[in-house]
Amino acid sequence: MITFKLNGKKVQGEEGQYILQVAEKYGVEIPTLCHHKALEPAGMCRLCTVELFDGRRTRFVTACNYPIWEGMEVKTDSEAVHQGRKLIVELLLARCPEVPLLQKLAEDYGIEKPRFKTEDDTCILCGLCVRMCEKMGNSAIALTGRGVEMKVDTPFHIQTDICMACGACASVCPTGHITLEKIRQEITRKQNVELIPSEYDMGLKGRKPVYVPYAQAVPNTPAIDRDVCIHFKTGGCKVCTQFCGVNAIDHSQEDEVVELEVGSIILSPGFKPFDPSRFDTYNYAKHPNVITSMEMERILSASGPTGGHLVRLSDHKEPKKIAWFQCVGSRDLNRCDNAYCSSVCCMYAIKEAVIAKEHAGDDLDCAIFFMDMRTHGKDFERFYNNAQGKGVRFVRSRVHSIDPIHGSDELAVRYVTEQGEIETETFDMIVLSIGLEIAPEVMALADKLGIELTDGNFCKTTSFEPVETSRKGIFVCGAFQGPKDIPQSVIDSSAAAASAGEILAAARDTCTRQPEVVPETNVVGERPRIGVFVCRCGINIAGVVDVPAVRDYAASLPYVEYVTDNLYSCSQDTQEVMTQIIRGKKLNRVVVAACTPKTHEPLFQETLTNAGLNKYLFEMCNIRNQDSWVHKNNPELATEKAKDLVRMAVSKVALMQPLEEAELEIKQVAMVIGGGIAGMAAARSLAKQGYQTHIVERSDRLGGQAHRLFRTSDGQEVAGNLKAMIKEIGDDPLITVHLKSEIKQVEGFVGNFKTEIVKEGKSEELEHGVAVIATGGAPLSPDEYCYGDDPRILSTLELDEKLMADDPELRKLESAVFIQCVGSRDDQRPYCSRVCCTHSIENAIELKERNPDADVYILYRDIRTYGEREYLYKQAREKGIIFIRYRLDAKPRVELDGKDLTVTVTDHVLQQPVQIRADLLTLATAIIPNKDEALAQFFKVPLNDDGFFVEKHAKLGPSEFATDGVFLCGLAHYPKPIDESIVQGRAAASRAITLLARKKIHTSGQVAETDPMLCSSCGVCISICPYSAPSFIPEDARMFAGKAQINPVLCKGCGLCVASCRSGAIHLKGFDNDQIFAQIFAVNQD
Amino acid sequence: MTDWEPKIVSFLCNWCSYGAADLAGVSRMEYPPNIRVVRIPCTGRMSPKFALAALREGADAVWVSG
Repeated sequence: MITFKLNGKKVQGEEGQYILQVAEKYGVEIPTLCHHKALEPAGMCRLCTVELFDGRRTRFVTACNYPIWEGMEVKTDSEAVHQGRKLIVELLLARCPEVPLLQKLAEDYGIEKPRFKTEDDTCILCGLCVRMCEKMGNSAIALTGRGVEMKVDTPFHIQTDICMACGACASVCPTGHITLEKIRQEITRKQNVELIPSEYDMGLKGRKPVYVPYAQAVPNTPAIDRDVCIHFKTGGCKVCTQFCGVNAIDHSQEDEVVELEVGSIILSPGFKPFDPSRFDTYNYAKHPNVITSMEMERILSASGPTGGHLVRLSDHKEPKKIAWFQCVGSRDLNRCDNAYCSSVCCMYAIKEAVIAKEHAGDDLDCAIFFMDMRTHGKDFERFYNNAQGKGVRFVRSRVHSIDPIHGSDELAVRYVTEQGEIETETFDMIVLSIGLEIAPEVMALADKLGIELTDGNFCKTTSFEPVETSRKGIFVCGAFQGPKDIPQSVIDSSAAAASAGEILAAARDTCTRQPEVVPETNVVGERPRIGVFVCRCGINIAGVVDVPAVRDYAASLPYVEYVTDNLYSCSQDTQEVMTQIIRGKKLNRVVVAACTPKTHEPLFQETLTNAGLNKYLFEMCNIRNQDSWVHKNNPELATEKAKDLVRMAVSKVALMQPLEEAELEIKQVAMVIGGGIAGMAAARSLAKQGYQTHIVERSDRLGGQAHRLFRTSDGQEVAGNLKAMIKEIGDDPLITVHLKSEIKQVEGFVGNFKTEIVKEGKSEELEHGVAVIATGGAPLSPDEYCYGDDPRILSTLELDEKLMADDPELRKLESAVFIQCVGSRDDQRPYCSRVCCTHSIENAIELKERNPDADVYILYRDIRTYGEREYLYKQAREKGIIFIRYRLDAKPRVELDGKDLTVTVTDHVLQQPVQIRADLLTLATAIIPNKDEALAQFFKVPLNDDGFFVEKHAKLGPSEFATDGVFLCGLAHYPKPIDESIVQGRAAASRAITLLARKKIHTSGQVAETDPMLCSSCGVCISICPYSAPSFIPEDARMFAGKAQINPVLCKGCGLCVASCRSGAIHLKGFDNDQIFAQIFAVNQD
Repeated sequence: MTDWEPKIVSFLCNWCSYGAADLAGVSRMEYPPNIRVVRIPCTGRMSPKFALAALREGADAVWVSG
């Protein structure tokens, strides 16, 4: 160790260190332009000049490359130093008057104008680029020439092959002299001098070779991109290792082949967005203002390349008109091979248009050019209607080409309107709604695994086993199974997990390890002994916040017995040290000032548990995400804020009490309500995974509506498969079927339900841990189109029954008409019934097959044959089935005149009314839910306006309710075909098993609790709680009858009841009034 | 102009705004260091008494977000 004086203070440094390094350690700032931590210092810019006293005389040296020695005295901010630096800045500014960095420095040193002759250079000859290039293992550039001729250049000023166009020189250049443009034009011969495109930002932004793919990535640790990292090309660089505070970077790591023994494989490789570059007429590859929908997603995102500011890419101006083109790379055999519909693009285009208008204001003109608007998902039709209300234009036209307008950044579009007129419009920006494709590498994987693919290269499955591939034990979910949106993918993934669980049930819990339990120390009644751990988080916190000052400040706070700072509090070794400190210092409350509790609270709570302390005797203080990271240019105030936050946390933690987590046994029995396809699928999966299951069915048989269905969209007969499924249920000893049974009463909650069912007048009580609601739906009985007046007018299911019975009349038909959207997508039922388009087309094809001479018409509004169902639509057109589009305000007219049944509709092409004499009229009636309000009440689950149950989360929790222990599947959720019902049945079982398999659950300790002495029995808490946790103590109770009590199992700790209790009778443990007030009182130091 | 800076007590819902404030950090956005965050489990927990207490304790403004 070498001791010397820095600005009069004694400091210490290691042998061989330079003044600058030691100064940095002690937080003494010395300005420099040419210093880089990873490079040997060169003393080129001279800005780090300091005053050195060696005992006899004073001289000036450059701090960056002057080694320290014992007894020296250094002054970094004396007047002489200041004057010296001012002169240096003045000289640099004279050389490079236009460089902003130097202008800023000049302003800091009070230089208005250099006294010397000015030049127009931008290079200060600091040589940082040259040293960096050398560090890269390359030396493509050097300082060439002598004296005034000196400059950074390649040998002989010839563009060189040696330069790898890595851009390291540009990244360190302090003045901006070296740019990517300069590298391209003057240094390298390579063509690809570009930023490394960020995959997450669709190449609209660059990224580094060391990177975290995106902010929410899991794991959130950086990775090195071996393909672009210079170290793997030259063996040089390794700059990152010098910056990593914990030596976590190891360039010598090799790829490893890991062999895993598994019983099942689930494939979820996802999709690849369609690349529209090959469509010449859209000019995507050539024009910056033609972008893909994926790029638009990033532009609209607050974390995107433009920070969420909606601009076009050519000139970063705000667009006034944007168009979306649908079906780019979907429903197209002409220009690509994707005959299927990508399912998701209509909805995302509407979403983007609505968000674009939200960002840019109502004046933004958004037009969506489409063929059929396919908003067949739950609540999507409403969104579509609302978008129209917000002024989004929907133009039914497929546009052939986009023409850039010469001399401007705008784009011209020529299209044919519905009326057959040719229109020309210009747009500032055009978004191509690209479809979903399967990547070639996924196809190769499928080949390797030996699984079959469909015509569209999706994984081949069947309607009755929708997540099972053609190879046993291999399952599939997500877009590889077929193009689909998030909710459907989430449902799929749960179902695939259940399918794997079914075949692996015997192995459940065989690889589980139990952690050792440390006995908890009783600290009740003890005086608080608080330990405060302040995290440096490498330089993430310490680089801005003065961590030692915060630590020392914490030590001055009441009840604080111990303080320290850690380099990384979350690292495993620190955790162990913390555990020992808590034990050794007998701490009974802990504050960690570090990152965010949202990610790290559980980790530190575990540390407390390991130290024998109740995990709720803890408070986290966010001095990184909400302090150092957001106030990096304001270190002083950031430090003040950190002190305030620590003070608030200490005040709160002192009042924290150990909390108990109620343990709850989960009854290992499931109940499925509804014995249709979805309910049976759920029950079958639960039983196959070893759980006793009750099916409660209202009617006298299992199978529900499926009994009336003829075929699935992939051409499978329903009857045979249904029979097999019912038999499977009947044969399973774990499943008890209760037919002709209704639910009369439900008591209890997650893990312990008691349900009373009534079977033919006899009542029975069943105990179960979870419930799956699969109450299904029914076809609407229409009151229009003369339904019921004539035997030739049928509903879809009635036609199915005739098809199943092979009615000879069907073979004699001359003319058959289908009317779509009967009762769907209107004011009364503003939702799409999802299955009817496919169903009618399938039946139309069947009629055509039974009698090829029959004229078959389908009167529709939008054909919604999503996914690979689109092939049916194509096939129908090829077979000569005639599709006539009608509008909601001009519905078809059905007339019965004696023997004649006539349908009149205005043809969309002819714009003329057309009369069709029909021998058969099939009405594609809406699916309506069996709106069961009593059941909703029993399980405390919500219904929406249409009568469907409302799931926990539209995207991420589609098969479960917000109420714990209650799950959802089938038509009760939303209309869906058989395959999707089966998938969701399995998904509900899967979600239920995540609960059942735990056998016991621990509730959170942070729940509300009533004080019956104060309770006035007003009932506000009971009415306000979204989770039905509060209830009145029964009137016949011995104590506190009629007062409110809160079931800790159901309570989610939101505190709504606490805030609304007029008597102050409810406490929220962990966030109680005194604790929050303590924080508030500590906001200002007194 | 004075150097006066307000001190704002912010009650942020754990599930949305608190998470958003974290994300602002992850995205390295910058904002003035005037807020002091009190994390609450849900804005349903918010009581008018908290806002009043904060003002009485010398806060210049109270921000409830959730």
